[in-house]
Amino acid sequence: MHIPDGYVDLLIALLFGALSVAILGLAARRVGRELPEHRAPLLGVVAAGIFAAQMLNWPIPGGTSAHFVGGAFAAILLGPHLGALCVATVVTIQALVFGDGGLVVLGANVFNMAIVEVYVGYGIYRLLAPYGEFRAAFAAGWLGITAGALTAGLQLGLSSAFEYELLTTLSIMGVGHLVLGLIEGGITAVVYRYLANARPDLRPTTDAEVSLS
Amino acid sequence: MSAYPDWLPRALAVLVVLTLLAPVFGWAAGAVGYAEPLENAAEATGATDSAEAVDIALLPDYSVAGLGSATGTFVSAVVGTALTLVVAVGIGRLLGSEPNAE
Repeated sequence: MHIPDGYVDLLIALLFGALSVAILGLAARRVGRELPEHRAPLLGVVAAGIFAAQMLNWPIPGGTSAHFVGGAFAAILLGPHLGALCVATVVTIQALVFGDGGLVVLGANVFNMAIVEVYVGYGIYRLLAPYGEFRAAFAAGWLGITAGALTAGLQLGLSSAFEYELLTTLSIMGVGHLVLGLIEGGITAVVYRYLANARPDLRPTTDAEVSLS
Repeated sequence: MSAYPDWLPRALAVLVVLTLLAPVFGWAAGAVGYAEPLENAAEATGATDSAEAVDIALLPDYSVAGLGSATGTFVSAVVGTALTLVVAVGIGRLLGSEPNAE
């Protein structure tokens, strides 16, 4: 779901870039008040793990392929604000060093994967957690990545390269990731359950970190 | 205060395993014909040719000039994972040390 340069109109890229900068700035300020020193290594390991996991393209017979994006996973494990900064770091390194996702469109890619997937995934997790954490983590990964794909579809469908075929881009991106997102949900839930059982102390503890208001 | 939590060695071992898996998955995805919904949407609307590569990328497409595909993918995975680890820990320390972030 990394959009290359040339796909999205400049105005849309700039708009989503500005939105991303504003939201990440807010996230950094929220985190700054709450981040205990011991969470810096956890942030590093989760970001590095997400980078490495994103390189694993799960082959699906029939000619499609998906990789774990990890936005909802980061949000659940780190809290949404730190989770957003975590995935934004990964997406930025992917673009700058590996050319995976464009530079002009970097803000839009950050918006889709590091903001929409993270905050939507986290919201779904919080909403459903009372009914079972495993199910909640699964739904968070699944619907979080679908939401991110829909905003990508929106950016593409409002751009000239895609002939402004908004319905086509929204349906291909939305339906495609609704199916592929089952893998995202599965990995999110399984890895989260393992970590929650093995190291319950690694979960975010402060309520301040989990509230936007 | 110790800078290294007790779970760190195990976490680093997981990262090493993930980087070793990268070339295997790369090969498998290539075998089934790798395509994401984004590429399908581009094809459906005729946008494919509009894509521009990032010129400044040192390891474009997770490959290393002069190295084979599997080796290049592995080196890219190691470099990227290590770089992400260092940058993210740096960001974490920076945020954590802000004395009066408002």
